[in-house]
Amino acid sequence: MTDLFTDILIPIFSTTLQLSPFYLFASMGEIVSEKSGVANMGIEGIMLMSLMSTFIVEYITGNAWIALLGALGVAGVVGTLFAFLAIRVRLDQIAVGLAIYLLGLGLSFVIFNTTYPSGLTPNYVGLPPLVANWDKIPYIGTVFLSQNILVYVSLILVVITSFFLSRTSLGLRVRAVGENPKAADNMGVNVNKVRFLATLFGCLMFGVAGFYFAGNFVAGFQTDIIAGRGFIVLAMVYFANWKPYRALFAGLSFNVVYAAQNRYLALSGFGQASVSTLFNMLPYVFLLALIPVFGRKARAPKFLLKPYRKG
Amino acid sequence: MRADTQGLRWLQTTAYNAFAIGLGILAGLVVVVYAGGNLGVALSSLFLNPVSFSGGIQQIFVRFVLFYTMGMGVGLALKAGLWNIGAQGQLLVGMVMVFVVYTFMGFLPWPLLYVSMILGAALGGLLWIAVPTILRVKFGANEIVVTILLNVVAFNFAFYMLSGPIKSAGTALGFPHTVELPALFKIPGITSAVPITYAVPATIVIGIILYFLVERTPFRVKANTVGESLETAKYAGISINRIMVITMLAAGALAGVAGATYLMGYRYELDIGSFSTNYGLVAIICALVGRKHMLGIGLASFFFAYMTIGAESMALSANVPTYVVFAMEGIMMIGILLGNYLSERRYVT
Repeated sequence: MTDLFTDILIPIFSTTLQLSPFYLFASMGEIVSEKSGVANMGIEGIMLMSLMSTFIVEYITGNAWIALLGALGVAGVVGTLFAFLAIRVRLDQIAVGLAIYLLGLGLSFVIFNTTYPSGLTPNYVGLPPLVANWDKIPYIGTVFLSQNILVYVSLILVVITSFFLSRTSLGLRVRAVGENPKAADNMGVNVNKVRFLATLFGCLMFGVAGFYFAGNFVAGFQTDIIAGRGFIVLAMVYFANWKPYRALFAGLSFNVVYAAQNRYLALSGFGQASVSTLFNMLPYVFLLALIPVFGRKARAPKFLLKPYRKG
Repeated sequence: MRADTQGLRWLQTTAYNAFAIGLGILAGLVVVVYAGGNLGVALSSLFLNPVSFSGGIQQIFVRFVLFYTMGMGVGLALKAGLWNIGAQGQLLVGMVMVFVVYTFMGFLPWPLLYVSMILGAALGGLLWIAVPTILRVKFGANEIVVTILLNVVAFNFAFYMLSGPIKSAGTALGFPHTVELPALFKIPGITSAVPITYAVPATIVIGIILYFLVERTPFRVKANTVGESLETAKYAGISINRIMVITMLAAGALAGVAGATYLMGYRYELDIGSFSTNYGLVAIICALVGRKHMLGIGLASFFFAYMTIGAESMALSANVPTYVVFAMEGIMMIGILLGNYLSERRYVT
């Protein structure tokens, strides 16, 4: 007999919370970046690079926090390259983003495979749960206390991002250079500097997301392992109309649908049947269905994708 | 612009592109040598391997057809300012449709079924891109976002079809695949010595037809105006929605047809190995390098077909994963964009 709580709701909520940080870190990064006028299509390439470095650094040092630093460093380097090409050289943002994706897709696996041709053992461990003996407390322990700290950091980040964009003067400048760079420039804002910082912040967040992917989504590194889940963030940001709280809703509801179909497949025994792939596409269809409903009022920053030249 | 300036500019762009491509190749060579490969072997596999055996030549033309067909679609949409990131998804749906028609419409006589398989693939790609097109035209939804989402959906859909409705009865265990197409449904080769199929001249003919339909008519100016500024297009009285719908649907149909030529002219059966190939992204590069020009994309496609085959055999010669080719393509793309930027800056400002 399946119990509504222990077999259905608790696993769904717990999986939803566990997977959310990947989407939340990435979408907050992309929101800040796009608010400043720079869309980063290289998102998944940057994630793949930092995911690769996460596995390698954790393997060498045995410490997930150092691996996080490594992931941030790698994302910072690739992100600086992207930001330089898109902002300073003013190349087409979409084309450069795709180029960065290809670069990351190829380079991440080549570096990993030439360094460790036969893969890594032991497997990745990752961050510890928030409370060590979380299983002592039923329900709440599984849903909230078994999660690692980044789950909560990512939720706080949503609040901070929203506050930053709407209430701080730097946030105002970020929005200004995305909406009207000319006016911002006249007010004495260094447009490309603000854009550079916003884009770099975005890339660092993709780095955290790439770090988080290890362990929580996959146990080892493989070719094309993120498989489009990084690109999905672009859709979430679009659906969210560039608003942090709506991106939180998008990320959580996407994961609820994902966890629910996953749970259904596990309980119904359809997991191995061919229909399971139809269930697997439900979260994406869900996101797609939201776009005509909510995307109607979507209003992109006016100078998104448009490079700025002083004078 | 005077003729000699134009010639000079063309030369300069070519030089920049050659430099960019050289940079990408250099990066690949560095990786190969770093992994312990021999430089001479790497160079000869890169440049000579693709043409030194008939399998390589066959591969070049298979990819040429794929890149060119999909690249024309991407280029068409790009003219109207629309990014079709979903060529990979449309290709997959086209491939699935070939076998859907073959499996469920087997009652048709041979020539009709043959044509229906290709048309079915075109229809599949067209329907797949109809979703972002409708969302864009009716709701103003961003086509990049929707085509990205549909790529993932296409992958799952194709995997479902492959492991269920169009699966061969012969695959009880292991990875699912379809039946192999019988000889009657294969696109025949032109000569028996080198396996180049009739798909190659057919693609070139499509390219020339599209060249006359697109580049030599007012359509080009209309599409370019839509692509550059919706405001201007509106004032000029251009039917924006019509241009968008035509270019997008054509892009989807072309990607679907690419799937049909790939299966009927080369692979003959569908399996999971044809799924995550990223050909859709290479098609975008070809469209950009060919400067959205229907014939230019053909040249770019041939070059990238040769280069990717060569780079793959170079990687294999030194036991480097063939994924190095993606990194090389990324570097080439950055270099080419930089080159375009530099050559335009010289004359515009």
